[in-house]
Amino acid sequence: MLKYGMLLATTSLLLAGTALTASAEELHIYAWASELPQEIVDDFAKETGINVTMDTYDSNETMMAKLSAGASGYDLVEPSQYTVQVLVKQGLLTELDHAKLPNLSNLGAAFKDVSYDPGQKFSVPYIWGTTGLAYNEDCVKQPITSWKAMWDPQYEGRVYMLDNMLAAYIAGLQVNGLHAGTANPEEIEKATQSLIEQKKILGGYNSSNFGELVASGEACIVQAWNSNVTQILDENPKVHYVIPEEGGSMWIDGFAIPKNAKNVDAAYKFIDYIMKPEVAAKAANLSKSATVVDAAKALLPKEVAENQAIYPPADKLKKVDFILDVGDAMKLYQDGWTKVKTAQ
Amino acid sequence: MKLSRIAGLYVPIVTILGYVFLFAPLVVLVIYSFNAGRSTVVWTGFSMDWYVQALNDRGLQRGLQVSAIVAVLSAIISTAIGTSAALAVIKRPFPAKNLFSTLLIAPLVLPEIVLAVGMLVATVWSGLALGYLTLVAGHVLVSVPFTFLIVRAAAATLDPRLDEAAADLGAHGGQIFMRVTLPLLLPAILSATLLSAIISFDNFVMSTFVSGVGTTPLPIQIYAMLKTGLTPKINALGTMLIGVNVLAILLVMGRYLKTVRGTGQ
Amino acid sequence: MRNRRQNVITLLLLAPSLVMAILLLAIPLLVVIAYSFAGRDSYGGVVTGFTLESYVELFQPAYLPIFVNSLKIAAMSTAVCVLIGYPIAYFIAFRAGKHSGLLLALLLIPFWIDFMIRMSSWMVLMGRNGTINGALTGAGIIDEPIRMIGTYPAVMVGMLYAFLPTTVLPIYAALSGINRRLLEAADDLGAGPVEAFWRVTFPLSLPGVMAAMLFVFVPAMGVYAIPVLLGGGKSIILGNLIVQLFLDFRNIPLGAAVSVVMLVLSSVIIVFYMRMLRRLEEAHA
Repeated sequence: MLKYGMLLATTSLLLAGTALTASAEELHIYAWASELPQEIVDDFAKETGINVTMDTYDSNETMMAKLSAGASGYDLVEPSQYTVQVLVKQGLLTELDHAKLPNLSNLGAAFKDVSYDPGQKFSVPYIWGTTGLAYNEDCVKQPITSWKAMWDPQYEGRVYMLDNMLAAYIAGLQVNGLHAGTANPEEIEKATQSLIEQKKILGGYNSSNFGELVASGEACIVQAWNSNVTQILDENPKVHYVIPEEGGSMWIDGFAIPKNAKNVDAAYKFIDYIMKPEVAAKAANLSKSATVVDAAKALLPKEVAENQAIYPPADKLKKVDFILDVGDAMKLYQDGWTKVKTAQ
Repeated sequence: MKLSRIAGLYVPIVTILGYVFLFAPLVVLVIYSFNAGRSTVVWTGFSMDWYVQALNDRGLQRGLQVSAIVAVLSAIISTAIGTSAALAVIKRPFPAKNLFSTLLIAPLVLPEIVLAVGMLVATVWSGLALGYLTLVAGHVLVSVPFTFLIVRAAAATLDPRLDEAAADLGAHGGQIFMRVTLPLLLPAILSATLLSAIISFDNFVMSTFVSGVGTTPLPIQIYAMLKTGLTPKINALGTMLIGVNVLAILLVMGRYLKTVRGTGQ
Repeated sequence: MRNRRQNVITLLLLAPSLVMAILLLAIPLLVVIAYSFAGRDSYGGVVTGFTLESYVELFQPAYLPIFVNSLKIAAMSTAVCVLIGYPIAYFIAFRAGKHSGLLLALLLIPFWIDFMIRMSSWMVLMGRNGTINGALTGAGIIDEPIRMIGTYPAVMVGMLYAFLPTTVLPIYAALSGINRRLLEAADDLGAGPVEAFWRVTFPLSLPGVMAAMLFVFVPAMGVYAIPVLLGGGKSIILGNLIVQLFLDFRNIPLGAAVSVVMLVLSSVIIVFYMRMLRRLEEAHA
């Protein structure tokens, strides 16, 4: 009994301790896991004296679920492009005051006036990447250039798709010669049929350890987000990342301030801080993803700046699709995806 | 005779295989925590580097701290709730007993994600902040059915005549509880506490929804790490957790066995 | 006087659970039920009101296989867990002697390392180039590695690993509460060990077995990480469906409706369980 009492006392002290540290200026960040390096956060805390707490999420949807519930307690979130649109339509983001972001001018030309958030009213891009496929040359003998390989029966049981509706439809639509992010019901239906067809040869759907599956040889081909496999590509020369000739897609993750944020000033300071070329370069280098700050790219080590898995060649980028919120057509995707997932 | 011999063998064989099954992954885990390379599958050489890295990973440290605090608190609270409820159901007359039992088991049979979403919405509605409070509350809710059912199952097998005998000997309610009921229920109460601490330590779905600023528990931290590929850092962390447990068990069990022998069971 | 005191004690015993049930269970559940009758806008916002839309949508043929699949996986997992968990609980209760505490503690050790770490160990063991395939090809038993990840048995292995202690503990609790003199009496009456087991031990352990079955069956329907990580995520069960509806589709009303249906199903199971338990307890009294 005494032991329990002591345990209780110690833990309540610990709890009180964590509550008491709330005196200095605070910043609560909610970011994609592994996209915002701890070192950057530490540097920022040291430089400004702001007490930063960072939590991470692994899907836009988890983050949205917390934000739409109301008082999440976060001052800074990191939504992907279509998520920015949804959050804005739900009225969950603060309109940004550009006067507080002098470094916004460092933003690369391509990211200055993005279609999902014209004029950066609600979000500031941070990093970008692509959706394509990765394969292991141990079992894929010829280089792959097309999504069609993911429908090839010779790889039966060793093909994995991303367990993510919008990502799966990129392949499903493009393999039919269509564009990802379409709102046309017939096109979506066609893609649904292709995905159901594909299920027969699939090993499974996976959006967590797909990189490891292909690196270990469990899978021959996986659909992949480039930023999750860049580390694996460095370590395992047998794994290759490809943006398929049908196009693939591009994504942008950026920072935004939730409507009910308490430490708005600190949030602005952080966004401005991460736009400094030297900081942006360090962040991009550590997270092995592509920066949106042009001046930062020049500061990167050569092997990173020239890494084609991170910065694809210009001709590839011309063909990529960019997924935006499809509005009411979302229902068509959802019904289709349910059919795919329940197909035997 | 033959049948009973087969049956007699079945029990120890399944037990041995069962423990092999439980520990095989752990052996692999421990071995690869000393791997020099980044792989958890391919052995490249001996190294202790991953232990240094695991100890210096701030995300893991925070996660471990959060998980430990929440596991201890929620285990104590849910055992207290489960035990008192079990005693009431077995030993006390009161109306709507079945409804009450059903209510307590309900969290077990409802999808956790539903409870989690409900908790999240209710928290927002009440104006409370997400954090330790909501995590502990969520984990208590998830583990109470287990503590209740375990203690209840044990209490149901208690012979009511023991109480009567104690009362005949002049013991009053409190004494009967402390000297007769509680000691007999102690194994069940201890397993209930352990089980609910484990349930909390392992919880994923509820934590995803009700953790707040700075209170991301370990499972969520690790799930996030799956994405960029697991390294032996995770194995090192797992190995250290096993080590701490074995130590704790040796200490607690040593004392427990002594008390058991002392009371001459 | 005495009566009132007794009532106060009863109330004190009931109070903590009642407070918990109201604050943490009743209120959130009412919210979920209310949501299942609400509408939604295209951005996942909940529109308050009363409509049966979600329930109508739920009874489409597309969802039927999910329910059937979930029940199948849960039943199979329960059978596997009890068949393996019962002998272990029996061994700890009757054969382990003074080592029973140690064995119980050992049973729980794997569960102190994180769920995700355990699952990743199994992925390593069962991988194409993993430990088991390596050993089998090394010993010359097979030529080509067997595919294990992404198969049904792999899911069962994951389920057994996840639910074994929740099976063993309640059965052990029931077995260890059995009065040893009953077994001696059976022996005195000339019953062999097998007969003594089926006529005395097993019936007395039934409440524990039933608790164990409940502990496995119901959560197994809602599990979602195991089918995804070990089973390849190709067949979706109720747990995955609810996660998908709540998070991916932001269709809170439909997710809530699935939950309400699951709630009704489960209530039937609990009522059945409670009735059986009471009958058993009466039989013993």
